[in-house]
Amino acid sequence: MSAAVTTAPATTRTPHRRLSAKKRTTAIVLGALSIIVFLFSVFPVYWMVNTSLQPNNEIRGAVPNFVPQNLTMANYETVIFDPGRAPFLPALGNSLMVTVSTVIIALVFAFLASLAVTRYRFKSRKTFIFAILIIQMIPAEAMIVSTYRVLDGWGLLNTIGGLTLVYVATVLPFTIWTLRGFVNGVPVELEESAMIDGCSRTGAFWRITFPLLAPGLVATGVFGFIQAWNEFLLALVVNSRPEMMTLPVWLRTFQQVTGTTNWAAIMAGSTLMAIPVIVFFLIVQGRMTSGLVSGAVKG
Amino acid sequence: MRKTTLAVTALGLTAALALAGCAGGTTSGGDSAASSTGDIRVWLNGTDTPQDARDYLKTTFESENPGSTLTIEEQSWTGLVDKLTTNLSGSDSPDVVEVGNTQAAAFTSAGAFLDLSDQYDSLGGSDLLPGFVEAGSYDGKFFAAPYYSGARLVFYKKDLLANAGLTVPTTLDEYVSNGVALAAANPGVSGIYFPGQDWYNALPYIWEAGGEIATQDGDTWTSSFSSPESIKGLEQVQEVMTKASVAPKDGNETDPQVPFCEGTVANLSAPSWVKGSILAPLDSKAPGCPDQESNLGVYALPGADGGAAHVFAGGSNIAVSANSAHPDLAEKALAIMLSDDYQTILGKAGLVPAKLSLASTLGTDDVAKAIAEAAANAKLTPASPKWADVEASGALQDFFVSIGEGGDVTSLAKALDEKIDGILNS
Amino acid sequence: MTSSVMLVREHESGGVQELPLTPKNKKKRGPSRAKPGRFTPGVLLLPALVILAVVIGWPLIQLFVMSFQEFGRAQVFGAPAPFVGFDNYTRVLSDPQFWAVLGRSILFCLANVVTAMVLGTLVALLMNRVNKVFKVLVSVGLLLAWAMPALTATIVWGWMFDTQYGVVNYLLEAVSGQDFTNHSWLIDPFSFFVVATIIVTWGAVPFVAFTIFAGLTQVPDEVLEAAQLDGAGAWQRFRLIVFPYLRSIFVVVIILQVIWDLRVFTQIFALQGIGGIKEQTSTLGVYIYQTSLGKGDYGTGGAIAVIMVILMVGISIFYVRRSLKEEEE
Repeated sequence: MSAAVTTAPATTRTPHRRLSAKKRTTAIVLGALSIIVFLFSVFPVYWMVNTSLQPNNEIRGAVPNFVPQNLTMANYETVIFDPGRAPFLPALGNSLMVTVSTVIIALVFAFLASLAVTRYRFKSRKTFIFAILIIQMIPAEAMIVSTYRVLDGWGLLNTIGGLTLVYVATVLPFTIWTLRGFVNGVPVELEESAMIDGCSRTGAFWRITFPLLAPGLVATGVFGFIQAWNEFLLALVVNSRPEMMTLPVWLRTFQQVTGTTNWAAIMAGSTLMAIPVIVFFLIVQGRMTSGLVSGAVKG
Repeated sequence: MRKTTLAVTALGLTAALALAGCAGGTTSGGDSAASSTGDIRVWLNGTDTPQDARDYLKTTFESENPGSTLTIEEQSWTGLVDKLTTNLSGSDSPDVVEVGNTQAAAFTSAGAFLDLSDQYDSLGGSDLLPGFVEAGSYDGKFFAAPYYSGARLVFYKKDLLANAGLTVPTTLDEYVSNGVALAAANPGVSGIYFPGQDWYNALPYIWEAGGEIATQDGDTWTSSFSSPESIKGLEQVQEVMTKASVAPKDGNETDPQVPFCEGTVANLSAPSWVKGSILAPLDSKAPGCPDQESNLGVYALPGADGGAAHVFAGGSNIAVSANSAHPDLAEKALAIMLSDDYQTILGKAGLVPAKLSLASTLGTDDVAKAIAEAAANAKLTPASPKWADVEASGALQDFFVSIGEGGDVTSLAKALDEKIDGILNS
Repeated sequence: MTSSVMLVREHESGGVQELPLTPKNKKKRGPSRAKPGRFTPGVLLLPALVILAVVIGWPLIQLFVMSFQEFGRAQVFGAPAPFVGFDNYTRVLSDPQFWAVLGRSILFCLANVVTAMVLGTLVALLMNRVNKVFKVLVSVGLLLAWAMPALTATIVWGWMFDTQYGVVNYLLEAVSGQDFTNHSWLIDPFSFFVVATIIVTWGAVPFVAFTIFAGLTQVPDEVLEAAQLDGAGAWQRFRLIVFPYLRSIFVVVIILQVIWDLRVFTQIFALQGIGGIKEQTSTLGVYIYQTSLGKGDYGTGGAIAVIMVILMVGISIFYVRRSLKEEEE
């Protein structure tokens, strides 16, 4: 990442100085393009925050306010504290617990499974890899009733554990599939030399391979994080008790057919829901991008 | 040959039963915990039930049943059918649930609710709103009691009407022509506010023209949006949408007070409680336009031949889950919700009480008068267990959006009939 | 699922072979002879297999069985579900609505994959050429877009495209001078999908761009320089040098985009809640939802789901077989 070239490598050594004018024009065009990409990416995020900071009656005017005229935190107060609404903090807590457990469990299980499919060759290996690809194609919407019954049978309705279990299963195939590439990228020789130094095979996996996978774990973990954080339909049906709600379901309570659609409050809620993901991304972003490529290249 | 087929079918059936049994295994709690105490979960939808009523329900229940507790869990109307389908079938079922009157049949016919036939008389008997009793009954049994009803009224700006030299209309045709005239006289203003997805508001036009949504013959339902009478009504709907309304053609009925307060609506047909939203104080979280109070008028939608029109009677039924762990306690909670005291609280909040004898609790102001007129002529959607599926399919919203866009009424109605026939008779 | 579990078990007793290093590592194939340790593949796979079998496998079998039954809401509450053979399948396949939905989904998927791939690649090339300041700027923008949850993003975009108060109508009117007052973006199916494509692409470009950009940093500079000295133009350099280097990245990213876009649910579902005509805008995922949970016809919903999976397997089987073959070599 950081070592990436800052100017196009091909042009740096161009002997013709006359080209520098053309080069400057190119640089300006590219800079302008960068700004356009930036604005296009950021504007919806900005608009969300902007709307959330305005009183609800001011956001519906003939001319939209591009900066809040009367800055207010009232919408945030509404969504967090309004007793008439589903409470925000428990939903945040539930979402965090479900998401973090999902990511951790999925990564550990996926690490073990990807060891199996990369370090060993066994008959049903192909079947397994094929199966995990197919699982990703199954539309989750079709399985809700069946999934509900499985969880019910195990007494896992309205629990963090139940939702986590389903989410782990949902993100596991993709996690294994991606992590496989990363494990492939760690040379077996490293494990072998560790074993020569007296490590057990298990020890070699955990002490050598696992740490080397850090960027890969981050990159794949991000997907698990997003999926678990955003999942709406199953959470709506499975965790029906208000105190067990997750954030996406909580967000939907602001958009009701017979109630009032309070756009300002929805935007405040959306902002609150997006913040943890953005924070998480900022923390892991360096490793995420470098991880992505090694996974993809070697996968 | 035949024998084999039978055997295979039997095998399949057994497998199906085994699967269902395996997944179910749920109801055991029902009879074992027939007595004693427990926690009752009551699902109420949206914010329709006022806080006073909730408090009353909780304190009354808990004082009448020492040791037991009652928790009200607010559910959103969005996705309610999905949630009820799964949750009522599970072991962690809520005990008492509110369900939209048009959705009730989907669950009464599926066996999701406890049979309340033996309680019918003690809950109110013939005093209960008849249309809602019908909606909550299936196969001669009484499953879901009426909870409350709502009525749609027309709110209007007195000054706009006066400026145009118009008076409160006495027939539906006059209502429409008023709307068209108001829209023409005030560019950018809806003479009648009619967003495309608001299909509830379209029903009176069909009914007043003599049309029906669907008719029943034995077990077969026939959707009749394309009957000559219905077409006449639908053409009037199209006229209102295209000539009298500047509301978004694919908009829905939420937040009608916003355009109303902005001054871009002359006539607004909306549920009675919208009055509260329109007059909400400026410092509240969803401010309305309280300064318009003296300018705000209300009347019941007039019918084709005068009097009140047949309007859609929205509202809710309330039932006990067949999988309730404490059915006896749940029934007691339901009885409180149908008590005169509780229903009076609802009536004072502008909801039509579940009992005919309590209609007077609505008060005597012009809103109450209009509600009484409208409720007297209110009609329901077809009493088919599949009707909820028609609503859930979104076909009605799609249809009226297309009407609003100026589509050909006859061919659209024929296509809709085909679709609804398919759902109702599947 | 079950069969693969059994196969693994069956094989546990048999010898376990080492997998040779993949050729792509370009390292010499050393004598990799690790002793088989305590972790046989079966044990390693066990946690994943168990959880997949319980949470995906079993409901999947139920779904499959259901697709041959008459399974409505009454059956959810315990009524016996009669088997109806292929009735659900024939009903689905003879329903013009299904074909319309299918065609729409495929078109939508193609449009989105192409748009996201082209834009993502261009942004990656851009990031590779601009100086550090601009690179950080673009990265921050992409990161924010990427981090936005799909549901949130759809609601925000829906609000921006709002018929009455949307900022898009305002800006378009200000810029073009034409009348966009109360212009509905969602009522016309084509325009609905344009908005949906913008939302999906907006969320997908960061992933594509970051991945390809990271890949670009691995293309050796010397090769590119040599090519330029030989007079190769920008397009030729991309096509002849960069692309072959990134081929495997492109394949992986495209296959993921295809899977994700073909079963797109959240964006379409949430957008339909804001406006538009459901019947003309449903994609496969939403259609399954409407049939199963909406109409309560779980049998038919199951049949559609099975058809959809078969279809997707058909689309991806070529890729999967080839990539597995490559691995074996």
